[in-house]
Amino acid sequence: MDKAKFIGKRLLLAVITLFMISFVVFFVIQLPPGDFVDTLVTNMIAEGEKVSQSEIDSLRQLYGVDQPFLIQYFGWLGGILTGDWGTSFNFDQNVLTIILEYLGPTMLLSVLTLIVQYVVSIPIGIYAAKHQYSVGDYALSFIGFIGMAIPHFLFAILLMYISYQLTGTAVMGLFPEGGIVDFASFLDFLKRLIIPIIVIGLGGTCSSIRSTRALMLDEQTRPYVLCTRAKGVKEAALTWKYELRAILNPTVSGLGGIIAGIFNGSTITAIVLLLPTLGPILLQALKTQDVYLSGGILLISAVLVVLGTLLSDLLLAVLDPRIQYIEETK
Amino acid sequence: MKPSAESKRNLTEGGGVPQAVSSRKQKKEEKARRKQEKYYTASQWQLMWRKLLKHKLAMASAVVLIVLYLGAAFAPFIAPQGLEDYSSSASNMPPTQLHFVHDGEFIGPFIYRYDVERDEMRNKVFVEDTSQPYPLKFFVHGIPYKLFGVFESDLHLYGVDNTNLPEGQEPLQFMPFGADQLGRDLFSRIIIGSQVSLTVPLLGTLISFVLALIIGGISGYYGGWIDTVIQRIVEVLSSFPTLPLWMALSAAIPAGIPVVQVYIWITLIMSLMGWTGLSRTVRSQFLALKKEDYVTAARLAGVSDMKIIIKHLVPGFMSYLIVNLTLGIPNMILGETSMSFLGLGMRAPATSWGVLLQECQNVSNIANCPWKLIPLIFVAISILAFNFLGDGLRDAADPYK
Amino acid sequence: MEEQKQAILSVENLKISIRMEEGVLTPVRGVSFQIREGETMGLVGESGCGKSLTSKAILGINTANCKTEGTITFSIDGHSQDLLKLKHNGAEIRKIRGKDISMIFQEPMTSFSPLFTVGSQIAEAVRIHTGKNKQEARELVIDTMKKVGISNPEKRFDQYPHEFSGGMLQRSLIAMALVCNPRLLIADEPTTALDVTIQAQILELMNQLKKDYGMSILYITHDLGTVAQMCDWVAVMYLGKIVEYASVQEIFKNPLHPYTRGLMGSVHKIGSGGGRLFSIEGTVPVAMNLPDRCGFYDRCSRREGVCGGTDPVMREVLPNHWAACWCAEEKEGCPNV
Repeated sequence: MDKAKFIGKRLLLAVITLFMISFVVFFVIQLPPGDFVDTLVTNMIAEGEKVSQSEIDSLRQLYGVDQPFLIQYFGWLGGILTGDWGTSFNFDQNVLTIILEYLGPTMLLSVLTLIVQYVVSIPIGIYAAKHQYSVGDYALSFIGFIGMAIPHFLFAILLMYISYQLTGTAVMGLFPEGGIVDFASFLDFLKRLIIPIIVIGLGGTCSSIRSTRALMLDEQTRPYVLCTRAKGVKEAALTWKYELRAILNPTVSGLGGIIAGIFNGSTITAIVLLLPTLGPILLQALKTQDVYLSGGILLISAVLVVLGTLLSDLLLAVLDPRIQYIEETK
Repeated sequence: MKPSAESKRNLTEGGGVPQAVSSRKQKKEEKARRKQEKYYTASQWQLMWRKLLKHKLAMASAVVLIVLYLGAAFAPFIAPQGLEDYSSSASNMPPTQLHFVHDGEFIGPFIYRYDVERDEMRNKVFVEDTSQPYPLKFFVHGIPYKLFGVFESDLHLYGVDNTNLPEGQEPLQFMPFGADQLGRDLFSRIIIGSQVSLTVPLLGTLISFVLALIIGGISGYYGGWIDTVIQRIVEVLSSFPTLPLWMALSAAIPAGIPVVQVYIWITLIMSLMGWTGLSRTVRSQFLALKKEDYVTAARLAGVSDMKIIIKHLVPGFMSYLIVNLTLGIPNMILGETSMSFLGLGMRAPATSWGVLLQECQNVSNIANCPWKLIPLIFVAISILAFNFLGDGLRDAADPYK
Repeated sequence: MEEQKQAILSVENLKISIRMEEGVLTPVRGVSFQIREGETMGLVGESGCGKSLTSKAILGINTANCKTEGTITFSIDGHSQDLLKLKHNGAEIRKIRGKDISMIFQEPMTSFSPLFTVGSQIAEAVRIHTGKNKQEARELVIDTMKKVGISNPEKRFDQYPHEFSGGMLQRSLIAMALVCNPRLLIADEPTTALDVTIQAQILELMNQLKKDYGMSILYITHDLGTVAQMCDWVAVMYLGKIVEYASVQEIFKNPLHPYTRGLMGSVHKIGSGGGRLFSIEGTVPVAMNLPDRCGFYDRCSRREGVCGGTDPVMREVLPNHWAACWCAEEKEGCPNV
């Protein structure tokens, strides 16, 4: 079974990658001078507590920060695997609890953006390729370039400003006050989704349009297109059956990268638009050296990207009869 | 070639009209053929250059970029204000109005003094005092600076002639882009900020280019277990969404270190994340070219590995790399701007476009002072210019186009 | 002379030009020929001489930047139409493609989409041109696959192109071309990508099928060796023009154009002994800004003063034997190749 072997290999690689990722995350959160206990002590002093050196030492022992790096790492990793992701002193809670609380909206926003991005970019990209060098193609390329050139956060600000000018209120946050209880509040929720999705998805959509267009142009020159045309197939069928199907594979295999792009966008957009996602929490955690929380968020975002890549591999295995070929191009 | 002059000469010098026509035709043919010949024998780089020259958008972008980088290089000369200058009375001042006609008379560019008043909502408003014009002068002496860190000077591109200013008044400033919260000239700060915002991406890309070339090259040329290990590392690094990791790394830059060190750290962080994609490109190009017959031929002829890499492989995809490189710069501009915007990048007293945009973090600030969005235009233009240039380079590098 | 059969396809003064940045390229510069019912016409020439463009122009599948002039008259069942007048990729030409005229391409490995089974891609032609349902189409395809020599076609039907060998794919491609009983088959170098033993089998197969189906073939090749095996008539093409046209026996017996003679000299013959193979000097010029003289002038081994003048036109030098050469009659004076 070729496919089973391929899937097995991909799964194994994903596990190895995850392991290495956890190491990098731990390394990065250990980088800032001082350790968790230093931050803790500073906070305690700021809150007016008096901390003696012996108390600090016992805290160090309690949190294991006096141990060598590798032992600390494996301790942390063991905790991650058993559900103990450490304590956030900003929230005074288990890191995993906080992450799970914010993961829902983050995923909701990301998945919605992902869908919108594909639904918008593929037809537009195909249109541009089919009308290469037409006015529409040039206009789309130009808009695409501008879309890629505007930083997410500034686009967020601009849209917020425009909506403020138009409606008189700046729409912030994701959920209406009081939560989604009836149809009206659901509509309000949908309205609040629009700006974040546009902002987060814009750059990705624009680059996706460009890559779809390029792939499509490339596909048009392949010999099988000529051969299929020569047997009397309609141009539309050629485009939507053969060529679209062919560009689907590279499009799907870019899923991991697109998810990473969405996380990039959503992190900073959420900070500007005050969305209840992991982005603002991460910034706060980094600025206050809440190391376990920032490490947890870094880890979970990388894990989601790896899972996305894995998913795209599995999809490819279903979509493409040539596993061997995928292996070679990977 | 001047056909009319030549035909006249042919006529006067005799030799009959038909012959003259045919010789002219032959010459024309010969010229066309020579042009063609030159086209067919031109080197890859010459062809690329020629095609690039024809790409209008790319050339326009190149000009824009040259202007921007010249601006960054001569920033202290162009900017009337230095980094540390501020004026509390000019806080949040809108762009200064430039006038040419005073009392119905054309007197060249000048500005009026602004009085600060309060409207009925107790908001600060700036009102022009049109009694006395203050002319704008070029090449004036102002605050001293060191150009390129070497040449001491106090000459500035422009400044306001404050000689008619009443005693005790703060000297006037011409602020084409308005002022920020601390009354600092936004134009000066944009120009000075471009020294960071435009060079970090360039240096970062260069470093990641070298990293990518070495690591990707080793990976692609030698293959085997080295390749496997490197590919794992690349995969791990590219599994991180870049921005969160950038943020985490930037947050690790120790507080209170000198600006220059912060600059170096930021550049290194940018390049650390930038090389992975490019190294994959290098690797796949190596893998593809390695199988080419001319490489096998060189190897059979006993050419050393290093020489094969440098003489045969690298030129084969250099143009491709340069395109990728150019297209990678916009990402770094975005990255640096985003980090500074979040307060994790450049720190005061240094500035960059992202730092300038920090004041745009809330809506009311933009609603009251929309000119604070001007740095955005510079960010967008430089990103666009690199994109267009990269696109033009790509078209030019494609031998099949 | 044998009796003249009805012409199924007649190409008149076909010109194809491509607008490029460096100028207008004219790869096909006025080509005329006829293909009669049940006959095979060989179009021979070096790569780049315009033979592939000519063949694609018949089906209207050249890229949009190719400008085509002239007429291509296709006549079946007493009904004729000019294929060049039909709308680009329109319904009328699509009805002809794959049904009345079908084509076999050079590269069997890339002529099928890798993402669909070979059988389904062949069946698609059936579904487009006949009212057959899926099951009937499948049966017909399997039947045709069997005819072209694909063993175990029931299993092969559901396999993907990457599971086929090159020879098998070329057979499948032929099956796809034949499945709707075409009246004219265009074979564009059908064997260049295959190795020699497979080549012979495929050519044999095509000859057999030509007899069985009673179709005409336009056989495009650069390989004179296979022409003798396949063709009734031969047109030799050079730099976008036909330079010699005759029956296959005549042209091999009595080649008139120096280019044809050169081509024949560069084929290795068994028993001809050692010595170097003849090769034509120089390279084919680019079809841009060409001077108005014989296109072969620079490379011709027996050019004379008259050859530097205007481009020679096709004329019937011998009965039913046309050539475009000023010196075609002076056979004796030319160097023996």
